[in-house]
Amino acid sequence: MTDFFEDRQAVTNTTRSGVHEYIYYPGLGTVLPQQITYALNMAPIRDKYTIHSKSIVCQDVELKGDITIGSGTIVHPKATIFAIAGPIVIGSGCIIEEGAIIVNRRKEVMRIGDDNLFEIGCRVESPTVGNFNTVSTRARVHHTVRIGSYCVIGTGCLLVPTEDEVLDDYSVTYGPAAERRIWSGRGKVQEADLRRKHAEYLRDMLPKFNRLRRGDGT
Amino acid sequence: MTPTLLYHCPCLSNSPVPPPPHLASSSYSFHPLHTLFFCEECDAVRCNRCVSVEVSTYYCPNCLFEVPSASVRAEKNRCARNCFMCPNCRNTLSVVPSDPPDSSDGRVAIPISTVGEPPFFLYCNHCRWDSAEVGITFEKPTGLAAQLQKFEDSAPESLEFDRLKEHFEPFLRASSLSSSTSNAPAAVPSSAAHSHHLHSNSITAAASAALARDIPGVSKYNPLSRSTSTRGGIGNKDRSTNKDEMSVYKSRVDISTASRLGSGGGDADVEYMRHLETIGEVASLEQRWTNSWATPLQTGDLKPLRIPLHSKRSKRCPACTHILIKPEQKAQSVRYKIKLVAANYLPAITVALPHAQQIQSEAAKRTLGKSTITVTDDDRGTAAGGMHAGKTYPFHLALTNPLYDPIQVRLSVQRMHVATTSSAEGGAPEKARRPPFAVSLPTSSFPIAAFAEAWEYEDDEDMFGVDDDDELGLGRAGREKDGRGRVKTVGVLEKRANVTVVGGEVVIGKEARGGVKFNMLVSYTYRSDDPAPSEGNEGSPSKAAAKPPEIKTFAFYTVVDLGAIIPKEEPRSDMDF
Repeated sequence: MTDFFEDRQAVTNTTRSGVHEYIYYPGLGTVLPQQITYALNMAPIRDKYTIHSKSIVCQDVELKGDITIGSGTIVHPKATIFAIAGPIVIGSGCIIEEGAIIVNRRKEVMRIGDDNLFEIGCRVESPTVGNFNTVSTRARVHHTVRIGSYCVIGTGCLLVPTEDEVLDDYSVTYGPAAERRIWSGRGKVQEADLRRKHAEYLRDMLPKFNRLRRGDGT
Repeated sequence: MTPTLLYHCPCLSNSPVPPPPHLASSSYSFHPLHTLFFCEECDAVRCNRCVSVEVSTYYCPNCLFEVPSASVRAEKNRCARNCFMCPNCRNTLSVVPSDPPDSSDGRVAIPISTVGEPPFFLYCNHCRWDSAEVGITFEKPTGLAAQLQKFEDSAPESLEFDRLKEHFEPFLRASSLSSSTSNAPAAVPSSAAHSHHLHSNSITAAASAALARDIPGVSKYNPLSRSTSTRGGIGNKDRSTNKDEMSVYKSRVDISTASRLGSGGGDADVEYMRHLETIGEVASLEQRWTNSWATPLQTGDLKPLRIPLHSKRSKRCPACTHILIKPEQKAQSVRYKIKLVAANYLPAITVALPHAQQIQSEAAKRTLGKSTITVTDDDRGTAAGGMHAGKTYPFHLALTNPLYDPIQVRLSVQRMHVATTSSAEGGAPEKARRPPFAVSLPTSSFPIAAFAEAWEYEDDEDMFGVDDDDELGLGRAGREKDGRGRVKTVGVLEKRANVTVVGGEVVIGKEARGGVKFNMLVSYTYRSDDPAPSEGNEGSPSKAAAKPPEIKTFAFYTVVDLGAIIPKEEPRSDMDF
């Protein structure tokens, strides 16, 4: 793995003046230069992984910055977690599947709650994520959206509002136009149960076929 | 836009020549190859417009249950088992059990049993709508439609419909009886209206019986025949039953008071709309029109829909009534008992513009290195496929032979101003109608090798060489001369397996605008099926003597659309042909 800042292709003058020009990073798309200058000047990115001993983080995972992964969380191979500006804290029992990208572009801590499911190829930049959410395959959530609990972002939905907004608990987005409705919450106990069984199965199976990554402490 | 090629079906007009392609109406005569059929008896192409269609099975697309046609009508064309559609997003609903009752803190430690708790409800996996929202729950997870039946039957629309059916029942029965009696000549009383049936021979009688076949609800043209036959059917109570003499229908609920009773409409809806807060509260048109009954205006009131049935259809040739396509009866099967599709008879032709392909591949190469976001769509759209006026472009036609015998193909472009040649020559309107481009195609015929299973190509490499040498001595020489003169843009470009790629060229006039679209006649000769097929012996010397009698020719028209012309800006008046 090369250094994160050597990967960029279009380089602008990343001075303190903060020229408004986007910089392209592989796997990240465009990044506002302020964030970079911030990262460069104030708190140079220091990789610091705190991985709970009971979590499963595969070796082939791209991690950058200050990342904390809670107990029982599963990170599949080829997932990407980038703490560009601020640290990322992931709770317990989350499942982060292949190709999922989690990015923190803000200074403050990005908190992801418990028992969330990030499906294949999704991309989440929300500053906060609650519990028991599902971000479906290839869905994309911008950094302007804060996600509550028990939300579902449907397959391929783009949540890219320009203004900051908060997704209420039990929100469901679905369809190509990302329509929204509020779920009644009936069946959430069964779904939570299924989520736990899913995680349990992966905790058993993934270590059999993948090398695991350990935190800095161990 | 990629260039397209469509096949002509002559069913819309009497002449076998297709309409000029610049007319907008001509698009109805041309179809993609995969939608066409081929009647072996008539030796003709048939399209979905001209075939006669019969339903062979009704089935539910969700549970694949074959519904007998008798119950299709009774169940109002929808699945009567456990298949429901989400009223919100039209996904399929699944039956799920309720959550266990306890768990006040939301964290259940006890594992949930797989059976589930009694109040079952329908649940949409896509938008998370559930039927408990509209108050529909079930005691057991089976026979849901039957459990819902009482809701549906008690709906005012359903009751009204039943009432209407009841009202028209005597009339329907009468008309069906009248048609059945007139179908059987023996039962017909010798009235003046039927006398010509009795005097004619059996063939015309059968034909007129077919014409007079029962169409329920549609009255017979001849009022006399109906009145005579209903006399026997209904009895002598209403001797002269007529449409006009039926009793006046009274609806269950007076329409002026209906909105007050809660069925919506009128002032109630206006009032509701006035207090709307979000647009999502109103059910969208898409959510409402899949239902056959009057649907509620409010999204919150939408009920689950039984899934509409699909049908498998068999199609017949309109001329000889032979079956062209007939699916297997089982809903699970995707095979056909009879399948006479045109793709098995006519060579499949695809068009390509090499210059557009080149641009596209370059564009793809450029975007490959870039991120997914920064693809510029606009410059790709204009560059690819566009042809500038006043230039010459080559195009490729790839012909694929579906037959097990090699064929000889000849292509020719239909003259576009064929209809106007008799009129004054060189007139201004005639000139305008002429296409502003000229197309050149190889004039001589060329071969396409036989279709064979893929494994045959491995060891029979030289088969095609033999083919070429001996069948096409003459045609080939002419073509090559043609090809060399033009740096090989017109002529046969490539031959592999059962595909032959032919190059053509289009010269676009300097003032041209619109699209490059022309009709092309494709005629091919093939060996027809004969009792003793000489399989595989293409190179044998006896073949030449044996061949002539069994060769047949088939011709069909296609329309080739190469795409739009990018007009030139400067005003020039000379046409460059």
